[in-house]
Amino acid sequence: MLSESIWILPALPALGALANGLLGARWSEKGIAAVAIGSVGLALAAALALLAEMLAGPADRAFSVTLWRWLSDGALRIETGFVLDRLAMVMVMVILFVGFLIHLYSAGYMKGDTGYRRFFVCLNLFVFFMLVLVLADNLVVTFVGWEGVGLCSYLLIGFWHEKTSACDAGRKAFVVNRIGDYGFLLGTLLAAVTFGTVNYGDLARLLATGPAVSEGTVAAVALLLFMGAMGKSAQFPLHVWLPDAMEGPTPVSALIHAATMVNAGVYLMCRMAPLLERAPAVLPVIAAVGLVTALYASLSALGQRDIKRVLAYSTVSQIGYMFVALGCGLWAAGMFHLLTHGIFKGLLFLAAGAVIHALDGEQDLSRMGGLLKDLPAVSVTFIAGLMALAGIFPLSGFVSKDAILWGGFERYGLFFWLAAFGGALVTALYSAKLLSAFLGARRSGGRPHRPGPVITAPLAVLAVFALLAGIPGLPLFTADTFFSRFLGMPGAAPATAASHTLEVALTVLQTLAVLAALAGAIRLFTRARRPADPAVLASGFGIDLLNDRLFVRPLKACARLCAAVIDPRLIDGAVNGLGSLSMALGRLAAGLQTGELRHYAVSLMAGAFALLVLTVFFAGGL
Amino acid sequence: MSLEHVVGLGIVLFAIGAAGFFVRSNALVLLLCVELMLNAVNLILAGFSRYLHGTDGQVFVFMIMTVAAAEAAVGLAILVALCRLLGTLDMSRINILKG
Repeated sequence: MLSESIWILPALPALGALANGLLGARWSEKGIAAVAIGSVGLALAAALALLAEMLAGPADRAFSVTLWRWLSDGALRIETGFVLDRLAMVMVMVILFVGFLIHLYSAGYMKGDTGYRRFFVCLNLFVFFMLVLVLADNLVVTFVGWEGVGLCSYLLIGFWHEKTSACDAGRKAFVVNRIGDYGFLLGTLLAAVTFGTVNYGDLARLLATGPAVSEGTVAAVALLLFMGAMGKSAQFPLHVWLPDAMEGPTPVSALIHAATMVNAGVYLMCRMAPLLERAPAVLPVIAAVGLVTALYASLSALGQRDIKRVLAYSTVSQIGYMFVALGCGLWAAGMFHLLTHGIFKGLLFLAAGAVIHALDGEQDLSRMGGLLKDLPAVSVTFIAGLMALAGIFPLSGFVSKDAILWGGFERYGLFFWLAAFGGALVTALYSAKLLSAFLGARRSGGRPHRPGPVITAPLAVLAVFALLAGIPGLPLFTADTFFSRFLGMPGAAPATAASHTLEVALTVLQTLAVLAALAGAIRLFTRARRPADPAVLASGFGIDLLNDRLFVRPLKACARLCAAVIDPRLIDGAVNGLGSLSMALGRLAAGLQTGELRHYAVSLMAGAFALLVLTVFFAGGL
Repeated sequence: MSLEHVVGLGIVLFAIGAAGFFVRSNALVLLLCVELMLNAVNLILAGFSRYLHGTDGQVFVFMIMTVAAAEAAVGLAILVALCRLLGTLDMSRINILKG
């Protein structure tokens, strides 16, 4: 039965990767694409069947399977097990649905690339690891997936490895993620030491009924795991890798760096919700990091010229909003924003990729204009995604972001709400900047060529979902949305009658303000002379420069010191010194070997005599 | 014939053998000197064995005779090989093995 073998979900993309990787050398592009898309499509079909079965069952229906015991060390047992509950199901749906469309899109987008097979092997491998990550029933197996997606991300960012900048970006992503993973590992170890288990179900049970564990320890575990989440989900100050990650092919940016992998941190925090609820001191930290990231990244997005970098900073900012939701304890709101964002940001990236393709690799926004006339299909879908991103009523982004803003107001008060609202306004501003590429007059020569149906079909599907994905978040202004009921987790702060009016008023205010900002910014950006991008925003407030001065250069200086002094003098000196010392001793001893038999005889006799004398003196005589 | 006679003769034989080993340089003679020293020791062992009315010393004598026979066989074989290889048995000229 399918519900007994949920391992089939990750196994299918893994098989696809293996088939293409081992056997695909002589296959045509069509064959390779068919295997890759087919494996993900089959997994999607299986996931849909599981979803139907899950919806038919009771609310806490979850499929779980333990494949084998990985290691057991007395108290600590780690099993390779998967669990597919409703939380994981949301992620699986995003991964496989968006992933399937992106695979389809890639088949057209990557056509003719010399690394066609390598691309699909990595992409399938990524889907496999991502599914391992979300299906894992304990922290250690999650970590396996966590590192696996990091590896695939590295491979795909540096996919065009002839470009130095792509290699640098891949390395940067890997190294920055390492910092977060360090926290993840420490958190896992601390959880294992404190609770004696790393299994999510056991952890939740222990936290609910088990022996009391000090709040400080729980908070430490939560903070360390949050550090891991910050690295993977590109939260300030570990966000620096994501904008550079745009060096990779655009489908990669859409799949890994917008829809799935970067959301792993949000998912992890939701997984650890029982732990976070026991550590209330950590929640404000999460909310603060999320808010700072949301504001910072939306402002930085405003200063970018490269269409993909705008979207990258936008992703960082939107994930910041997800963490704001988690920091308010609104797990369902965070997951819902993850879902809608995964869809509309995936769409935006894919559409941006289509635009870049149509303009022969042009990524500079200031050279784009009037694309609506030239590329109507792509433009309409892009604009649908943008409207969802900006939070225009009643699109998906509006529904999910509204719940988060209101949650922030309820829990942390007016100033928190103002800051988050400011971020939403800036979102509208940079959306307008992106929108300006499609309005007005053409800004560069050459007629864009329209993409084929393989590219536009996924765009159309995603656009429809971007418009409709808000439906599970209905009804508005309640804690009890369809989505939170599905998830079994709180979706919004419980509202009293008095605050209910306030909530409606704030939402109306937000919507009007966002619309006004959008309209004003469109006028501004479609003028013939656009406002220049402030350098401070374009450089992301100089965080890269700061990191360079603060960490990279001292480390490089340290490395140079080691290479110039410590290694040749100290290490080599010690090793060579030992060598020459034994050589000298050897030369000294070699002098005793004369080759003359007589000398040996004398020393033999003298030795025997000396032994005799010693015996007589020390053993008390004969 | 007292113990002193036997031990005295043994010491004299051993001294002759040792002195011969030091002063002569022909490998064959050196081998003879070694045999002389071994037999001096044998003599002393036998003398003591008789003096003490025990059999331990005699057992050792047989052990040493066996080892000496084996040593002579191996030693002579080496000498033949050495002679063929270098054309001489003068040990003062054979000193290739040195540090």
